[in-house]
Amino acid sequence: MIEVAGLRVVLPPAVVAVDGVDLVVRPGEFVVILGRSGAGKTTFLRALNRLVEPTAGFVRVAGRAVTGADPVALRAARRQIGMVFQQFNLVRRASVLDNVLAGRLGYVPTLPSLLGRFPARDRDLALEALTQVGLAHLAGRRADTLSGGEQQRVGIARALAQAPAVILADEPTASLDPALTADIMGILKSINTERGLTLVVSQHQLETALAYASRIVGFRGGRVAFDGPPAAVTPPVVDAIYGPVR
Amino acid sequence: MRRAALFVGLCVLAWLVWDTGADPVRLARGVPWILDFLRRMVPPDLAVLPATLLGALKTVEIALLGTAVAAVLALPLGFVSARNVAPPPVFYPARVVLNLFRSVDTLVYALIFVAAVGLGPFPGVLAVIAYTTTSLAKLYSEAIEGIDPGPVDAVTATGATRLQVLRYGVLPQVLPLFLSYVLYRLETNIRAATVLGFVGAGGIGFYLQTYLRMIDYPAASTALLVTVVMVMVVDAVSSQLRARLV
Repeated sequence: MIEVAGLRVVLPPAVVAVDGVDLVVRPGEFVVILGRSGAGKTTFLRALNRLVEPTAGFVRVAGRAVTGADPVALRAARRQIGMVFQQFNLVRRASVLDNVLAGRLGYVPTLPSLLGRFPARDRDLALEALTQVGLAHLAGRRADTLSGGEQQRVGIARALAQAPAVILADEPTASLDPALTADIMGILKSINTERGLTLVVSQHQLETALAYASRIVGFRGGRVAFDGPPAAVTPPVVDAIYGPVR
Repeated sequence: MRRAALFVGLCVLAWLVWDTGADPVRLARGVPWILDFLRRMVPPDLAVLPATLLGALKTVEIALLGTAVAAVLALPLGFVSARNVAPPPVFYPARVVLNLFRSVDTLVYALIFVAAVGLGPFPGVLAVIAYTTTSLAKLYSEAIEGIDPGPVDAVTATGATRLQVLRYGVLPQVLPLFLSYVLYRLETNIRAATVLGFVGAGGIGFYLQTYLRMIDYPAASTALLVTVVMVMVVDAVSSQLRARLV
C-alpha cells in the first residue's frame, strides 16, 4: 500500500531529517512509527504526501507515485492519503462541517468550491465522516469552541471524508491529556479494523504504540532502527530506538 | 557613549528649531489672533447648514465608494505580496509596487486626478482608491503572512488546488482581519476626504475652504462642526462593527 525506497530528506539549512529509509506497508496494517522527538518521524510522514519535498528516494502510495508526480498527479495521490496532525490544524473560525468538507476538495469541481458550494453527495460524505467520529451533533459549531479531543476527532473526520486508502497521523495524541489518548487511538484503531484502512501513526510513547500497533517501526536519527511486531519489542530494542537511559 | 548620543540629539534638535524658525514668542504673539478667529466663529451661521450637510454626505460617499473599491482591488495584490503565498519572482516586484504607491498621500493623488478628470467628487474617489488599494494590500499581505500554517498544510494534504488552499486554508483565517482593516481605512479615509475638497475634489472640505477664503467665519464654523460630528459618527459606527469582528 505504501512503498518507500531510499527516502532521504534534508531540511534547510542542512539537517538530515530522514536518512535513507526503505519501508513497505501492506494493506490493512496499523503501523506505529516510534521514536524520540527529533528522530525524523514527522518529516518522514510529511514526505509521504510531499508536504515536505524529499531530497532523494521514491514514494508510492496506493499504486500512485508521489515522488516525481506533476501537480495534477500529486493532488490525485494526496486525495487518497488522509492526514491527521498533532495540532489538529483545523480552521478555527470555520464551522466543524466546513472543516470536514475540506476533505472533499480533491474531488469537487474547483469553481463552485471556491464559492463555498459542495455537491449534496459530498456534504453527505462529510456528515457521514462526522457521524463516524461521533460529532454529527456539533456540525454547525465553530471549530475553536470544541475541546481538544473533539477537535482531533474533527481532524480525523476530515481525513475520513477524503475516502482515503491510507491515513497518516502525526503524533495525534501528543497535544491531548492521557485520558483522551485512548479515545483518539481507539477511533483510529476502529477505522483500521472496521474500514480496513491502512494506518501509519507516529508516537513517542512506547506503551501507546505497543497497545494499538500491528507493526512497530522504530526511528532513530532519521533511520529505521527496528521493524517488527509489538511482541518483538524487547528491552534491547527499546534501547536501540530511544538510546540508553542516561 | 550615552552622553555623546544625548549631545548629538540636542544638537540636532537645536538645529531643527533654528531651521524651521520655531519661535515660542511668535506663537505667543499669535494667540490673540487665534482668539479673535475663534470669537468671530461664534455663533455658527446655521443658514449654511443644509449646504454643508450635503457636502458632508458627499465626503462620506467619496470615502465609502473609494474604500469599497480599494478593499476588493487590494485582495489579489495582498495575496501576491505575501511572502508565504507568492513565489519570490512575484512577491518582490509586488512589494516594490506597493511601497511605491503607498509613499504618496491621498491628497497628492487628488491633485493629480483633479488635473486629469476635472473638479468634483470623482477625482476624490479615484484618489482614495489609489492610496487605499496599496495601503490595504500591505495590511492584507501582513495578515496573510501571520496566519497559522497548520490549516494550510491540512487543506493541501487533502489534494486541494492552490486556489482551494487559499480559499479554505488562508481566507477563513484572514477575512475577519481584512474586514477590520477595511473599516479602519474607512475611518481614516473620511478624514482624508475632508481635506480633499481643499484641492477641488469635492465634499465638505470644499465648503470649509470657500467660507474661509470669503472670511465668512460663522459659516466656516458650521462646516467645521458638521465635519467633527461626521467623523465622530463614522468612527463610532465603524469601531462598533470592528469590535464585533475580532
